[in-house]
Amino acid sequence: MTAYAPLRALFADAGYAFVEPPILHAADVFVELAGEDLRRRLFLTTAADGREMALRPDYTIPVCLHHLAGVPARRRAGYAYLGPVFRQRSDEASEFLQAGVESLGRTDRVAADADMLKLALAAVDCLGVRRPIVRIGDSALFAALLDRLDLSRPWRRRLARTFGDASRLRELIARAADGVPQSTAGAAAMSRAATRKKAAAMLAATGLGTIGGRTADEIAERMVEKTALAAGIGVRPARILGDYLDIVGPPAQALKEARGLFRRNRLDAAKALDGFEARLAAFAARDIDLDGLAFAADFGRRLDYYTGFVFEMHASRRRGAKQIVGGGRYDSLVALIGDTGAVPAVGFAVWLDRIANGGDKAP
Amino acid sequence: MTAPLVVAIPSKGRLQKDSAALFARAGLEVAQQGAERSYRGVIAGIDDVEIAFLSAPEIAREIGAGAVHLGITGRDQVEESVPDFATRTDLVLPLGFGHCDVVVAVPEAWIDVVTMEDLDDVAAGFRPRHGRRLTVATKYITITRRFFAGHGIADYRIVESLGATEGAPATGAADLIVDITSTGATLRDNGLKILADGVILKSEAHLVASRDADWGAGQLVALQTMLGRLAPKRSFRALLGRLGKPAG
Repeated sequence: MTAYAPLRALFADAGYAFVEPPILHAADVFVELAGEDLRRRLFLTTAADGREMALRPDYTIPVCLHHLAGVPARRRAGYAYLGPVFRQRSDEASEFLQAGVESLGRTDRVAADADMLKLALAAVDCLGVRRPIVRIGDSALFAALLDRLDLSRPWRRRLARTFGDASRLRELIARAADGVPQSTAGAAAMSRAATRKKAAAMLAATGLGTIGGRTADEIAERMVEKTALAAGIGVRPARILGDYLDIVGPPAQALKEARGLFRRNRLDAAKALDGFEARLAAFAARDIDLDGLAFAADFGRRLDYYTGFVFEMHASRRRGAKQIVGGGRYDSLVALIGDTGAVPAVGFAVWLDRIANGGDKAP
Repeated sequence: MTAPLVVAIPSKGRLQKDSAALFARAGLEVAQQGAERSYRGVIAGIDDVEIAFLSAPEIAREIGAGAVHLGITGRDQVEESVPDFATRTDLVLPLGFGHCDVVVAVPEAWIDVVTMEDLDDVAAGFRPRHGRRLTVATKYITITRRFFAGHGIADYRIVESLGATEGAPATGAADLIVDITSTGATLRDNGLKILADGVILKSEAHLVASRDADWGAGQLVALQTMLGRLAPKRSFRALLGRLGKPAG
């Protein structure tokens, strides 16, 4: 017998080929992509040659590595998986089952996004979860807004990378409104050339100039940026950003609000908004109930390879309920692990362990 | 016979000397048992106390595991080695020695980096420019992760350092460090500066109790006796009440 036979059949019938990438990987790829915070949750071990190895914490990166083993990287391929993943968790088992799909190489992104949400809904239905709570977001909308607001580069970067951490982002915007005094301890007045010269001398004096760390140019360049940081972004852009992030609700209504906000402030973000609208139309064409989706403008992932549409599902509204599905578009991931350039990619994972533990008992 | 109160004290270095002096002043005479190099001892005149001589990091770990009741170790060691230290340990008494700060230090040549927020900018821009993540050398992995996460810094990785952490930037082993310092002189000698908001923890040696250890009536009495000698003017009723309660 095969566990989860209906789920396997669902993915296979939709055209996704099951793959079983290795459980054990060089830890580097996970740590470089997700950073130190993920490393805390990795199960690490050391190979005989001293290399740090990790048990896979999810399937997305291993499946992309599997895809990159073939050529060309931009070819269209759909993968499905079902198996154990490993994370240090104190309140749940550290070895647990995930299933999901990854779709690579599809350039019809709107349709691919919609197919993904449709299949994820079918997956939880097949697992007995009735009426999941579905949350959607779109970091491309926020990115378009940042572009239109004519922000200084360092502030734009700070805001962009904080997207996905709702409370920290609001805090940052509040501080950005008026600018922040940068404690440069008298160095603020130094010109780029003077900073460069001083930094170069100090790097040379400590032998740091030759070992591949930060360079004098880099230090001088950022010194100039600190002036822009001190100036802030202005009250109006901060207010617009805040108003945008407050948008929540059924996506059709949220889209209307966003259009209104952008129009009132004479910001032309038609392309991103039209993209969002086209995606909603593609949902509707696949009989996805739009009013059953909850858009939140501030919902995104902190991982920088997620580039657009994101979604997650919960089995209940109970406080502390954990997500049973997480998915989204990650067009930047493949370029980060291979030398192949960007490859369009979208996928989702189902937390089978959490569904077995009460998903089907949800109201 | 009842199980003894197990008290771990530092077995070497400065902490060992300071701890021995502290006990001597309090009239607690520690005697090693058996052979000269034994790792176990007793306190003359107080029954039901067993002394374990361990290194400061080992003491923190044993307190975390509930294997010793009481120990002398740095607050830095407790926060580094004991998961959920706030609920599983009691910092019973600061001891006035072993002072050190756990700090974030970067090369002085990084003129543009003064605060953790500056460091966040540098970390975020580092990989696109250098093709690798910014690296932090440290022995304090848990403390570093918690502090950096608190400042919203995600784009870095830790390089575990086993000694001479302050040399890591100069040898290219890491870009910056998190380490202990008492005067800052060693950092300055290595061309490093402490960030303005980069003092993670002001540590000193503490008498630390493990809430996970087995606390019976005998151990509580022995603890009360020892505390009466070490800090006669202080009341430890709340602590004794907490430890006396069954776990959970």
